Amino acid sequence: MHDHSIARVNRRSFLEGLAGTGLGMLGFNGMVQAEATKQLVRQQKHVVVFWLAGGVSQLETWDPKPGTETGGPFRSIATSVPGVEISELLPHTAQQMHHLAVVRSLNTNENAHDRGSILMQTGQPKDPGFVYPHMGAAFSSLLRSEENKLPGYITMNGGGQASEAAFLGSLHAPVQIDGDRGPSNLQPPEGMTAAKDLRRRQLRDRVSHRFAAARRQTDTEIYDASYEKAAALVDRRDIFDLDQVPGSERERYGDSQFGKHCLMVRRLLEHGVPFARIRHKHYDSHSENFNFHIEQLGEFDRPFATFISDLDERGLLDHTLIVCMAEFGRTPKINPRCGRDHWGTAWSVALGGCGIQRGAVVGSTIANGTEVKDREISSGHLFHTYYRAVGLDPSEEFYHNGRPFHRTDPKAAPIEELLV
Amino acid sequence: MEPILKADLRWLHAKAARNPAVGERASGDACVRCFSRSRWFDRFLALRALLLPIFWTTGALLQASFLVADEPLHERIDRLVSARTPNYENLAAPLASDEEFLRRVTLDLGGTLPTSDQTRTFLADDHPDKRSVCVDRLLASSDYARQMMHHLDVTLMLRLPQLSIPVPDWEKFLRNAVVENRGWDQVTRDILSCDGSDPDNRGPARFYLARKGDVDQITRDIGRIFLGTDLECAQCHDHPEIDEYRQQDYHGLAAFLVRSFVFTDEKKNAIFAEKAEGEVSFESVFAVRDNMSDGPQSIEPRLFDEFTMTEPDLPEEEAYQVKPADKVRPIPTFSRRAQLPQAIANGSNHRFARTAANRFWALMFGRGLIHPVDGDHSGNPPSHPELLNLLAEQFAAHQFDIKWFLRQLALSKTYQRSSVSLAAGEQAGETSDEMFARAILKPLSPTQLARSLFQATDTIAAERTVLGDGFTEEALEKKLIALERLFVRRFGGLPGEGPQDFEATVAQALFLSNNAEIQRLTLPKEGNLAHRLLKLPSDDPNGLVDELSLSVLTRRPTAEEQTDFSEYLVGVPADERPSAIGELIWALIASNEFRFNH
Repeated sequence: MHDHSIARVNRRSFLEGLAGTGLGMLGFNGMVQAEATKQLVRQQKHVVVFWLAGGVSQLETWDPKPGTETGGPFRSIATSVPGVEISELLPHTAQQMHHLAVVRSLNTNENAHDRGSILMQTGQPKDPGFVYPHMGAAFSSLLRSEENKLPGYITMNGGGQASEAAFLGSLHAPVQIDGDRGPSNLQPPEGMTAAKDLRRRQLRDRVSHRFAAARRQTDTEIYDASYEKAAALVDRRDIFDLDQVPGSERERYGDSQFGKHCLMVRRLLEHGVPFARIRHKHYDSHSENFNFHIEQLGEFDRPFATFISDLDERGLLDHTLIVCMAEFGRTPKINPRCGRDHWGTAWSVALGGCGIQRGAVVGSTIANGTEVKDREISSGHLFHTYYRAVGLDPSEEFYHNGRPFHRTDPKAAPIEELLV
Repeated sequence: MEPILKADLRWLHAKAARNPAVGERASGDACVRCFSRSRWFDRFLALRALLLPIFWTTGALLQASFLVADEPLHERIDRLVSARTPNYENLAAPLASDEEFLRRVTLDLGGTLPTSDQTRTFLADDHPDKRSVCVDRLLASSDYARQMMHHLDVTLMLRLPQLSIPVPDWEKFLRNAVVENRGWDQVTRDILSCDGSDPDNRGPARFYLARKGDVDQITRDIGRIFLGTDLECAQCHDHPEIDEYRQQDYHGLAAFLVRSFVFTDEKKNAIFAEKAEGEVSFESVFAVRDNMSDGPQSIEPRLFDEFTMTEPDLPEEEAYQVKPADKVRPIPTFSRRAQLPQAIANGSNHRFARTAANRFWALMFGRGLIHPVDGDHSGNPPSHPELLNLLAEQFAAHQFDIKWFLRQLALSKTYQRSSVSLAAGEQAGETSDEMFARAILKPLSPTQLARSLFQATDTIAAERTVLGDGFTEEALEKKLIALERLFVRRFGGLPGEGPQDFEATVAQALFLSNNAEIQRLTLPKEGNLAHRLLKLPSDDPNGLVDELSLSVLTRRPTAEEQTDFSEYLVGVPADERPSAIGELIWALIASNEFRFNH
């Protein structure tokens, strides 16, 4: 399925100081192989998405409006970037702002969970005629190293369907990890040596291939892929064993499941996994918006900030694009139940890490937050920016069943102020 | 044989085929066999000679009438499927082999696999009617009752957690309905008419009460399950993409339920009670957004444009039989909700009949004639419109007799096609699923997977041995159900969701690969398959591979497999042999071939 004529420079030659690096560029099937012969000097790149499910309020996070009729009860606080203030509900994150950037002028015009989610994770509105892969699958296919058997797309705490990979296939479908201890049943059964495990899996594969060869394929491929990924995880089960992490480090991430997921993702990045999505729920605060956000962001703030600073300390932040977003924001107007409703008209997204201009603030909303004031941004702009940030070409076309498609919305362009 | 006797036999055979309870006794063969050469037989011969012409004419007329008016449904299915696709006969896969057929039908109708002995017997049987006999045997079995109960449970309850009504009560209601072969319309009416107020009949109320009496959730699910329409989007506005799903359709259905609410009596039992007042009120959020709304509307109870209801105009003092009061469950004089079961579940409700036929078709074939099964609208026409109309009409005409319907589907050639693609010559995309030119792969449901695993590894026999003198069917069932639950948790998907595309998660692969309980099933234990295989002489690898393949894959091994499987054990030291046999069994049960019904 993959075109092996793509030139690959392997890790060894990098270590030997040659101008080439680890990882193959595996494009979309049938893509015009524009970069096939380019040799890029770069390390493994990663993308981590923090998905604040349900729609976190921009007014309680990145774009506070204290003292206005829409601002609510919270104040804004200074951050490590002079002149930039965010909500007081994110004190630890405020100290990491010099690693982050904020877009305050997002207008996606989409207020439905499902459609908003697709728009923010594929960069394209829901198209009845064509299913675009989610960014996890896309980046898995573009950034994943052939040598690394670990899954290319991992999602923590729910929300990963095989259909997100669309035509990219089951290799790039998300692997879901729930719970505090990572996947269960990682430990091989008693008496099962690695050699015996391999032998039985190989027999399993032979039987399965003989069966699938004579029949319609897709579902059988999905099933096979699950065993491949399972085997890779069993092989590297030490990654999920947080007891191997010094107590002081674990303490900084805290005891919440979200904190543990952040730490697991850091370890996954250290082992070359290109894309992880960490889902934190639930932010759909149609009522009691302020209580909700105190609680939710109270859990979110410190592990998120720890994650950023940890990556920085380990030299990973320069190679990891961080995106913190949701399906949409929340209404400036506070409803009778003290809640905020869905709002895609003027909201915010935070980015950081690889290729991103640290401390940048792009765009603004008017005093009460109901409109974008300047520099209106769409999901398409964001996607152009993501691709450029990790060193990929966002305008590249690819072909599927003979039809050309664009990886990102051709009507949009990268947000230059956000890029280094 | 003389023509008369042939006609007799065929008529009697056909009659026996329609009435399995009568069975062999009605078969002409048996009659002839039973007769011994006696005075009575001589008189019979004489009488027969006299009545010859009469039998001849009657038989011929009956045969002729069958072919015209009473061509069996399964033959009409085949004709219509073939006629719908150009070049169908060349594109279609051949009929499934006996091995393929036996495995498929045992899974579909019995929810499990046959034993290796049952497989051997079926393969060796050369009776021309053996497939239909097999279908009848399965339909009469307790395996069918369990499998159909599980299937209906998931269809109706979407794995919602227990609430208000104990799940065993609900399952008992369903199981009784299946065992009695109650018509699907009657089952539907039983469910929709139950409020839980009768202490001896609370089971069916799970449908309403596990949904917390939530009018919107119930409206949506009634639309999806019984009427083939997912009206969710139409709650807030006319459906943006489907013209026929209007906001008034959603609220017309909701209007039957809007007066209902959950009442808790002094024994803490929840009852789905009803008031005498309350109306639906709706406004399109699009119209509101665009400042084009005329304000909130209401609508009386109706089912699309097909069924409307007249409510009696009662004076206020007569509105209640039992007036609402503190701790008193109200009973209205006229109940809107009581009109719903008959309005929905009857043969002349075309949507109901079509949805019923489509859903049971999808169960057997892996894909509805309307796909998805809750997407019935003119923008999503059936792949075989004439066939679907016929099925709906026939299912209704037979009082929604589920066993009768499934039997007809199982006897069709279309059902019995192989899943194997045409060899090398087939171009990609030449056939697609909706042509029904070959069997569609169906992933095993969680309970099918569990039961198949128990059967393939002969865990059932092992558990019998373990229970020893304490063995009862009940004790055995209890153990198996506990293991079954493991599978439902792992493979059952999210509660409240309808059927989704096939998902194979890493968590499931890890479960099947490393879970200690699963591994134990594959290792030798008195009575199970691994134990049997271990006891076979190691110089007869063919015997071992044969038994392995028949038990787990329901077929004989190919020559390639004989080599592949027996080589797995070559050179394995004696103390490692049990483990190696376990690995061999595991490789098969973890394979694609096992995971799917094909």
